[in-house]
Amino acid sequence: MTAVHQAVAGAGPYDAVSEQVRAWRRLLAADGFAGGDHAVQIDPRLRTGFRPLAELEPEDGDLLVIRYSAWSPALTALLDLPNPVLLVYHNITPAEYLWNHNAGLAVQCAIGRIQLPAFARRARLAIADSDFNAAELRAAGAAEARVVPILFEPGRLAARGRPPAGIGPLVLVVGRLVPNKRHDRVLDAFAAYQRACQPDARLLLAGEPLNPVYRRLVEGLARSSGARNVEIAGGLAQPELNAAYAEADVLLTLSEHEGFCIPLLEAFHFGVPVVAAPKGAMPGIAADAALWTDDDPAVTAELLDLAVRDSELRAELSRRGRARLDRFGAETTTAAVREAIALALG
Amino acid sequence: MTRPEDALAHAHAEAARKRAAGGYAKPGVAALDESIVSTRPSIELLSRWAVIDGEPELLYSTRRAGAPVTALKRLIVRLLRQYLVEVEARQTRFNIALLASVQDLERRTGALERAADAGATAPATPAGPGEPPGGRRSDFPA
Repeated sequence: MTAVHQAVAGAGPYDAVSEQVRAWRRLLAADGFAGGDHAVQIDPRLRTGFRPLAELEPEDGDLLVIRYSAWSPALTALLDLPNPVLLVYHNITPAEYLWNHNAGLAVQCAIGRIQLPAFARRARLAIADSDFNAAELRAAGAAEARVVPILFEPGRLAARGRPPAGIGPLVLVVGRLVPNKRHDRVLDAFAAYQRACQPDARLLLAGEPLNPVYRRLVEGLARSSGARNVEIAGGLAQPELNAAYAEADVLLTLSEHEGFCIPLLEAFHFGVPVVAAPKGAMPGIAADAALWTDDDPAVTAELLDLAVRDSELRAELSRRGRARLDRFGAETTTAAVREAIALALG
Repeated sequence: MTRPEDALAHAHAEAARKRAAGGYAKPGVAALDESIVSTRPSIELLSRWAVIDGEPELLYSTRRAGAPVTALKRLIVRLLRQYLVEVEARQTRFNIALLASVQDLERRTGALERAADAGATAPATPAGPGEPPGGRRSDFPA
């Protein structure tokens, strides 16, 4: 049977794109497809699952699934192969956020956006996981850009690790510690919330830092904000993250650029209210199931207070969250993935 | 109960009420705003980027118990310092020279644009390194 290979620029333990590679692989294996998952850069903490892209040697007719979230010369080289290509666009962080914090990644992102049209034109089929990303694909010249939502697997949210320490309302922020997630605004809003509403509130930032220097920058911002009970946890293993969701009173995201934002779905799964900035793909994913804020930290603080204290509002948001989650049910999304693969294979 | 649709208006009203009573006195600083290069980088910023200075702090290991690996990487950089400083200096030399050329081009095109706007020809500029006599490229209008 034809093999389906997946290729990404980088694979890591807490990375949403890597998680999707694994979810697709499980589905592909269940459907009888062979093939491997390859990455240009593999985080040493990943012991299994990915092999170096240099080892990818597809046979004629094998399908190449290129997951595009950052550029690498090795990914571009795949376009020269005669194999059919299915492009999955996960979006690329605008380099403007990264120039001052990680020059290498900024270069990858800048070139990634420049090169997107070449990938879009070469692909037999180009898909995106959100309307927001599909619009960017179309703008890049893709003749057709289908929306195939991520494979959301609630099963991985079952295991429970150790919950976060402390008492007081828990504001949870999930996402890599990178500039576009605007943890500075999160800290401003949380400090305001603590001062004006809930002095014993806790803030947990869960997410892998861009690098140690950036982590120290955020730690410095946390100190200068005057906020207390702030924990910068770094990347959490899934059971610990699940425990944090189970304990959380509200999920806060003030990210300025999101191609999808899986934490929204995770929060809906756990019935945790969401306060978010209406940026990127987020309004399309959460719609009426989140409380949308603006740039004023005081307004965000008041929304956090509402989300924590108003039990009827929480119940309504939980109900709406479950309804949104139904749109990303396994039956719908696996059917969409299977259809995309069939189309790409021709 | 506050409906989700009404929550933002409620939050605005409550924030305004508390501000009037002296609350929310400390404004947010959005500290990262300055570091986000939302437009074309300025010449000043490019000048800072042009000087290559690899900080050892940027070397780290993501492995579990990666501290010894980080220490080893930093030691290697220290041992290779003489070589790395030379490589950095050569890259910086190129960057600075290129930046100077860009600045010069910017100045000259600016002058040409101003001259064109004024309906007059641009004043001649002295020749720079590698330029033809007269200080302007032959494809520039005289």
